[in-house]
Amino acid sequence: MHNIENQRSQFIRPCTRVWLGLLALTSVTYGIGRMELGGTQIVMLVLIITFIKGEMVAGFFMGLRNTSLLWRAIMASWLVIVGGGIAIAYLVGLK
Amino acid sequence: MQYQSQAVAKPYFIAAIGLFVGQILFGLIMGLQYVMGDFLFPAIPFNVARMVHTNLLIVWLLFGFMGAAYYMIPEESETELFSPKLALLTFWVFLVAGALTIVGYLTVPYATLAKFTFNDLWPTMGREFLEQPLVTKVGIVLVALSMLFNLTMTVLKGRKTSISIVLLMGLWGLAVFFLFSFYNPSNLVLDKYFWWWTVHLWVEGVWELILGSLLAFVLIKVTGVDREIIEKWLYMIIAMVLITGIIGMGHHYYWIGTPEYWQWFGSVFSALEPIPFFMMTVFAFNMVNRRRREHPNKAAVLWALGTGVMAFLGAGVWGFLHTLAPVNFYTHGTQITAAHGHMAFYGAYAMVVMTIISYAMPMLRGRAANSEKSQVLEMWSFWLMTVAMVFITLFLTAAGILQVWLQRVSTEPLGFMAAQDQVTLFYWLREISGVIFLIGLVLYIISFFVKGETKEAA
Amino acid sequence: MSTQILTLDSHKAGTPPGDLAIWFFIFAELLAFGIFFLAYAFARANNVELFNESQQHLNRESGAINTVVLITSSYFVVRAVAAIREGLSRQCVYWLGAAIGLGGVFLVIKLFEFHAKFSAGISLSTNTFYMFYLSLTIFHFMHVILGMVILAAVMLKAHQGGYTAEHHTGVETGASYWHMVDLLWIILFPLVYVIR
Repeated sequence: MHNIENQRSQFIRPCTRVWLGLLALTSVTYGIGRMELGGTQIVMLVLIITFIKGEMVAGFFMGLRNTSLLWRAIMASWLVIVGGGIAIAYLVGLK
Repeated sequence: MQYQSQAVAKPYFIAAIGLFVGQILFGLIMGLQYVMGDFLFPAIPFNVARMVHTNLLIVWLLFGFMGAAYYMIPEESETELFSPKLALLTFWVFLVAGALTIVGYLTVPYATLAKFTFNDLWPTMGREFLEQPLVTKVGIVLVALSMLFNLTMTVLKGRKTSISIVLLMGLWGLAVFFLFSFYNPSNLVLDKYFWWWTVHLWVEGVWELILGSLLAFVLIKVTGVDREIIEKWLYMIIAMVLITGIIGMGHHYYWIGTPEYWQWFGSVFSALEPIPFFMMTVFAFNMVNRRRREHPNKAAVLWALGTGVMAFLGAGVWGFLHTLAPVNFYTHGTQITAAHGHMAFYGAYAMVVMTIISYAMPMLRGRAANSEKSQVLEMWSFWLMTVAMVFITLFLTAAGILQVWLQRVSTEPLGFMAAQDQVTLFYWLREISGVIFLIGLVLYIISFFVKGETKEAA
Repeated sequence: MSTQILTLDSHKAGTPPGDLAIWFFIFAELLAFGIFFLAYAFARANNVELFNESQQHLNRESGAINTVVLITSSYFVVRAVAAIREGLSRQCVYWLGAAIGLGGVFLVIKLFEFHAKFSAGISLSTNTFYMFYLSLTIFHFMHVILGMVILAAVMLKAHQGGYTAEHHTGVETGASYWHMVDLLWIILFPLVYVIR
């Protein structure tokens, strides 16, 4: 029973909060899209939101937050490289 | 050898090595024709020598794969082969058909051969790698189907392991993709589009499954590492092969009239194709490092490690060099392609066949491993052939870079033949490396006849 | 404390949930998509006007709804894993069924989107933007199908009582793959539908 209570407080509840957080962040991204906002600041905001969402899914849903640093680092660097690359490409496209 | 019927592998292996020698001899003839245009003309023109060189390559590798399958499947399935007689029959059919085809290439003009073999009824000839007359093509299909029937029945009645299932998938894929050699649309773009499916979906797809399972089989035997670990690696490699290889094949579609998106598909996916080869290298070294027994057959271990490294270099690195569309725009159809083709075929497929032969032949001859003396000679042949192949690749790469520069990049581009004249030095050096390769191959064959103290098979 | 939960499934602390092999597979998939995403971003940089113009013809609403659908589906899979960790096979099956159902909703919405584009005469060869839009989304679409097949296999085994509170690596393996499909869409949506 101890384990079950533990798992509810350590796994389900945080994931429920993450799910709600993801929905909220998605609506922000959608709102930006709907208003057809553009420009460097907006795009960087969108990318930061995306990075946070990615980390939330990887850490909580996929359970990487309970793994060793190596696994978390691989996932985080993938997100950083992809997100950073998109940001660089965006800046290149401005010129 | 644990099962009597594994013995049918032996003639396949012997035929493979015999045809390998033929391939190298014709390679040397061609190599000389690069620099001495009229060498052996008109008896063996360049196009015929080239056709024989490439066809023999494919056929001896097929013999090798079939021999490997007939050796491995009974042992993996822990049962005798479904029909050893059928396996021997298909061997002779395949050998005689292959020999007659080569004799046809060499003795009559190609157009006459086409006429004699009913090419008018169903035109399939005249395309690179698919030059075989219609009757030979039909023969290949029958041989492949009877082999698949034989092997599939064996697996069905025995133990099913990942290795045998992956091997069967590879062999079935081989047969299925060969069927596209019968499809010859009159639209040149469509013709080329499907032409690539036969040999190139082999080497970048289903043959990699065969390669992976052969390597896994030998590594289990010589290292004693748990099957479970080896199978996990095999699955990962296979998954990567299928993700990257099938769409990655799009790198052949760049400049032949197909839609532009192939430049993206081909570039993105084929850029990932080195990954499975890299994984194979890591796999081979990792398993050998974790070995739980010292197998007496050191030569087979050397071949297995060599396959990993050379496949990664030849297929992975040399493939990546010119796979991105903007690079390939300049390099397609040059000696860089030839450099990649040589090292990839040798490193991935020739070497894996020699790995399995090196492991299985002593067993088929009733001993765990050859004598020390024989193995030392075999390892010499390994190094001579492998180093010679590295040099062939490097010289062809140099020739290719120069060719691209002179013919396609410089402000006053030269014509094809004028550019060829400028790179003859590299062709001479390549020919010398080729001779060294032949010496290595001769030593390899001699190593089979070296006697000495041997251990009985376990 | 949290590691204690993980060790319930008898695998070493510090490694991610599910079979190790699926993680190699997941990272290989991420690598392939990552390269594709970057290719899109840099192709856009060379052709900003075309991409901005074409993007306006996308159905942003269906993209956003699909994001919500996949995120929620992923959450249901989390609940399925949580259920089996308590040994509740039946709940696990229900949550998985709900997740697969949402996967189906995703596919249907996507098919409407594709249908609209194809009937407007748009194909891979229309322009660079549509080449990327179609190939990225179709490629992802096929991963959704694969993920659903994996989840269905897991659900079938769970239904037959094949998993227990102690042994349920299969559930975690399928779950990890499904979360990856979700993760990819989380990046794809802003990249293709929003950023301008």
